[in-house]
Amino acid sequence: MKSENKKSVIVGIFTLIGIVILVAGIMTLGGQQKKFVKSFRAKAVFDDVAGLQVGNNVWFSGVKIGTVRKINFYGDSQVEIEMNIEEKTRDFIRKDSKATISSDGLIGNKIIVIYGGTTQAPPIENDDRLVSVMPLDTDKMMETLQENNRNLVSITNDLKNLTGKISEGEGIIGAVLTDSLLADNFRNMLSNLENTTINSNKITSDLSSFASKMNQEGTLLDNLVKDTTVFKSLQATAKSLESTTKEASAAATNFNLASEKIKETDNALGMLLNDEQFAQYLKGTLENLESGTDRLDENLEALQHSWLLRRYFRRQAREQAAQEEN
Amino acid sequence: MAGNTAERNYIISKKIDQFFIELASVFRFMKRFFVEVWFPPYEFREVLRQCYEIGVKSLPLISLTGFIVGIVFTNQSRPSLTEFGATSWLPALISIAIVRAMGPLVTALIAAGKVGSSIGAEIASMKVTEQIDAMEVSATNPFKYLVVTRVLASTFMIPLLVMYVDFVALMGAFINVHQNELTSLTTFFVEVFEALTFLDIFSSLIKSTVFGFTIGIVGCYKGYTSSKGTEGVGKAANAAVVMAMFLIFIEELLALQIVNFFRFN
Repeated sequence: MKSENKKSVIVGIFTLIGIVILVAGIMTLGGQQKKFVKSFRAKAVFDDVAGLQVGNNVWFSGVKIGTVRKINFYGDSQVEIEMNIEEKTRDFIRKDSKATISSDGLIGNKIIVIYGGTTQAPPIENDDRLVSVMPLDTDKMMETLQENNRNLVSITNDLKNLTGKISEGEGIIGAVLTDSLLADNFRNMLSNLENTTINSNKITSDLSSFASKMNQEGTLLDNLVKDTTVFKSLQATAKSLESTTKEASAAATNFNLASEKIKETDNALGMLLNDEQFAQYLKGTLENLESGTDRLDENLEALQHSWLLRRYFRRQAREQAAQEEN
Repeated sequence: MAGNTAERNYIISKKIDQFFIELASVFRFMKRFFVEVWFPPYEFREVLRQCYEIGVKSLPLISLTGFIVGIVFTNQSRPSLTEFGATSWLPALISIAIVRAMGPLVTALIAAGKVGSSIGAEIASMKVTEQIDAMEVSATNPFKYLVVTRVLASTFMIPLLVMYVDFVALMGAFINVHQNELTSLTTFFVEVFEALTFLDIFSSLIKSTVFGFTIGIVGCYKGYTSSKGTEGVGKAANAAVVMAMFLIFIEELLALQIVNFFRFN
């Protein structure tokens, strides 16, 4: 009887452990597949789902947040994906987030990747439809790759021709590589360039020291920058210059007015410059004055030789001679 | 003329007719089981004893087999995955192979060899020694006491054994993977369950229940219908193992088709 009880207990323990393994397996699987977590639904419509299946994972920022619940045809030939997404991730997925189809490895299962979304948009709601972005089509990738291959062949052909010409000494590069004279010139050029660089360095150094000197206290620029009295003085000078400029401007205006006046004949100077009749008259007057002066000279000459004044002029001549001797 | 009369007794041929007659006999046996199982007296103590014999006593052998299967399968799969740098897929591959197919199949085949033969031989020897007749005389229902208890015990115990084998085989696989790829236990089991679905676990459970029922019913049928004589005991034990294994493979094939129908629809 004791043995029977022992067997019963052992069978009980055996059964219990078996059930525990089963339950643990189911709970772990359910936990991994988010079967026992509160979730909400979201949708996305694709032209081509590339072999996506029900149960495939949904990723957001590289974290699995749900699974594909249902795949239905939609419209003419599109496919609508219904996803179960963990409730706790709702705040991070925005209404303007995008969904695309990717793969969890080079040859892994297909997955839905949700990405993007801005904080300005509100969080996603139940049954919202995400903007879908079509994944890269491998056929198109291969086409592009083929085009690249053709370009590569063309480039390598060109390169082959180019290197052939260079090795034969054609063109500038070929000549540089094969002609010793050109090589010497090139070497000289490099030497000059080196000298220029040295000079440039020197200039830069000088400029640097000049700049440091300018920053020394007491220099003009330093005073200009730092000394407020110099600045005030300059300000006063500028003001004075401004008033001088104004006065010069006024003088120029007056001068313009005077010039305008001169052009007219209602004043003495204008008449002198512009009236021809007056000019003729003045010319005649001057001619008369000249002839009058000549006659006066003759008269004075005659007066010097008169006996009344001869004595005076002789004495004046003697005094002048004595002054010249001294 | 006598030969012609004898030929008229068979519909197709003697062997084929015999096969269908036996098939009908099996179905009658199964029908009797499904009738008897619902009515008292319920032999709980005998069921428990059979559970101990079938389940607990088979555990060491089946666990060891599962452990070795886990290690060997992992080792044999590695080179193929290494060729295209996908050794990280080993846990997923092993979990699918073990949970979906190898766990239930290996458990059922080992149990068919150990349990099926023992049930067949035990009941056949009771038949030979007329203990079954004696039970009938003593107002004990031998079918209920011998057949129903054993079939129930094997039907309950095989799924539990499959759970143990799955676990032990995965642990064996983990040891191998850890030695070679230095994968941690957590990562290993995360990847194991990543590849599995509820359908895998429940189909494995249902399948192993069917395997358990098959082992029990075939063992009991072969023992219960054995011909008299010591030779009949050996034949019953042998036939129980062969028939159970054959049926297990047929059921595995059918189960695969049914599960795939649910998986892809």
